[in-house]
Amino acid sequence: MNQNTRSFLALTKASLKMYYRNKGAIIFTLLIPVALLSMFGFLSSGRGPRIQVGLTNKATTEMAQQFVAALKSVEAFNIREATETDAATELGKGDIDLQVIIPENFGKTEEGKPTASTIQTRFNKGKPQSGHMANMVIVQIVTGLDKKVTNAPTVLDVKSEGVAVNNLGYFDFILPGILSMSIMQLGIFGVAFSFVAMKASGALRRIQATPVKPVYFVFAQATVRLLVTLSTAVILLVFGTYFFGFHMMGSYVNFFLVCIFGILIFLGIGFAIAGWARDETQVAPVANLIQLPLLLLSGIFFSRDGFPTWLKTITDYSPLTYVSHALRKIANEGAGLTELPMDMIGMGVWLIIVYAVAVKLFRWE
Amino acid sequence: MACLLWEKLVKFTPCGPLQIKITPMPAILEVTNLTKTYPNGVNAVKGISFSVNKGEVFGILGPNGAGKTTTLEIIEGLRPITSGTVLLDGIKTEEQPYLIKQRIGIQLQSSAFFQNLKLTELLQMFADLYGAKIDAAQLLADVGLQDKAGFLVKNLSGGQKQRFSIATTLVNKPVMIFLDEPTTGLDPQARRNLWELIAQIKNRGTTVILTTHYMEEASFLCNRVAIMDDGRIVALDTPDQLIRQLLAKGFVPHTEVPPATLEDVFIDLTGKTLRD
Repeated sequence: MNQNTRSFLALTKASLKMYYRNKGAIIFTLLIPVALLSMFGFLSSGRGPRIQVGLTNKATTEMAQQFVAALKSVEAFNIREATETDAATELGKGDIDLQVIIPENFGKTEEGKPTASTIQTRFNKGKPQSGHMANMVIVQIVTGLDKKVTNAPTVLDVKSEGVAVNNLGYFDFILPGILSMSIMQLGIFGVAFSFVAMKASGALRRIQATPVKPVYFVFAQATVRLLVTLSTAVILLVFGTYFFGFHMMGSYVNFFLVCIFGILIFLGIGFAIAGWARDETQVAPVANLIQLPLLLLSGIFFSRDGFPTWLKTITDYSPLTYVSHALRKIANEGAGLTELPMDMIGMGVWLIIVYAVAVKLFRWE
Repeated sequence: MACLLWEKLVKFTPCGPLQIKITPMPAILEVTNLTKTYPNGVNAVKGISFSVNKGEVFGILGPNGAGKTTTLEIIEGLRPITSGTVLLDGIKTEEQPYLIKQRIGIQLQSSAFFQNLKLTELLQMFADLYGAKIDAAQLLADVGLQDKAGFLVKNLSGGQKQRFSIATTLVNKPVMIFLDEPTTGLDPQARRNLWELIAQIKNRGTTVILTTHYMEEASFLCNRVAIMDDGRIVALDTPDQLIRQLLAKGFVPHTEVPPATLEDVFIDLTGKTLRD
């Protein structure tokens, strides 16, 4: 093994041990978010019984009838047939959870070959769990029909879109928010205090007296924070899903990627503060000065829609807004990273700013 | 070979008016015309030259602010040189600070370690940073801390902390160790105990360079001492030789020196056993 790798691993191991032996840090980073989540979870519990489906059948083919029959046989669905516009209105009011539209050309053949057609579903964003489940059932039915038609499973397809309705589940809204908060606190407070303590006590200088390049120590600290953040995310997700029915609409990979982006930004802020400060007394006011406004103004616990325009415009650019917004879009609406260009660019720009400042301010003693 | 040695002897520049007695041992450290000016303009080291021989204990004495710690930190590769050269074990410090650090052991003046790590874990971590294999239990036994393996540094006494700190400087089997005021703040028992430890390390063939404020410590431990004041070396010789030179100048102590000191009284009354 390369000596740099070995040093990095030794420092990471040491940092990890220091972390989990620090009871305060464990309470701060794991228990508080879980407790907050439970509090919000109990405040906003309650789930609808059956999924209300508004069905519009424009096709007259046998296959369309098979599809409708299959839908009606699903116990979790309560099917109501309506015109497209009526169903859309009902969906907008929140009277139905899912709108399914079967197009005219569904199941038709042209010169002996089946025509490609797409079933459109629209679901209530506020009940993403119902929409998601219904969608899965429909995709299964369609795939079954599709296989009957041809071996190529591309002929029939389901296109689904979320429609924002104002009864968005608060718990689904709050989980990504609490996770963003933990990410920020872990990054800023978690690293700034411990790093400055090591700097002020001289422990860091002792490491510099060994042949290891000091930057590996920074890497080791960052790695441990990254691991802790990802574990916090896993714990919150498992806890939220198991106890409060949180449903992940998007990809876990994207969700965790945004978590990693987030922790990198806030670690940068943490290292900038720790690098600049001489001791703990300098850390607390600066860290709070950065953290409190971010916490209150980035739409973590409540929507920023009520803000005056100027404040909303400013807080649009907060790093925490980008992180929490991206996490929400992925978790609540199943957005992919390419559908979140502003958040991704925003986080990228913050990464550059934060590390430029950290490098500029950093001093080892 | 003789030629090389001759060259070394000729190159050796005596400091000030004092005659340096040259020992036949080969030098492991050669410092030549070293100066250090900090970015804030403080001129901490003003052109010093000395060499340390293999296997000796070399002391740097001097009042606070004399430039002792700065000198050590430059030799250790922790601070950049303003001018001059430092050649340690054949390596120029300013060119290869990481290679230097690989071969030496450093005890800093304030010996702080990571919190929440046990002594064995800390020793293992330091060993890994050098890529060295260690027997942590044996290393702790060498410094008399075999019973404290599972302790955290914060739960050690002052003397134990210093002994542990010295243990961390030994993980890479260094050719030379640097001890910056190792006994400052210790009680007389712990101080004498540390002297024994340093003497043992020396007897195992490791070169030791240390700074101290305690003259009896320097005369007990050091083969040679350099006395620094205001960034310069004002004297460099064996402790005995320095005393002889002073007496030769006609120095008479102000008071008659009693054959025992107050410290002897203290040790006599409280015993030599360590109080941890």
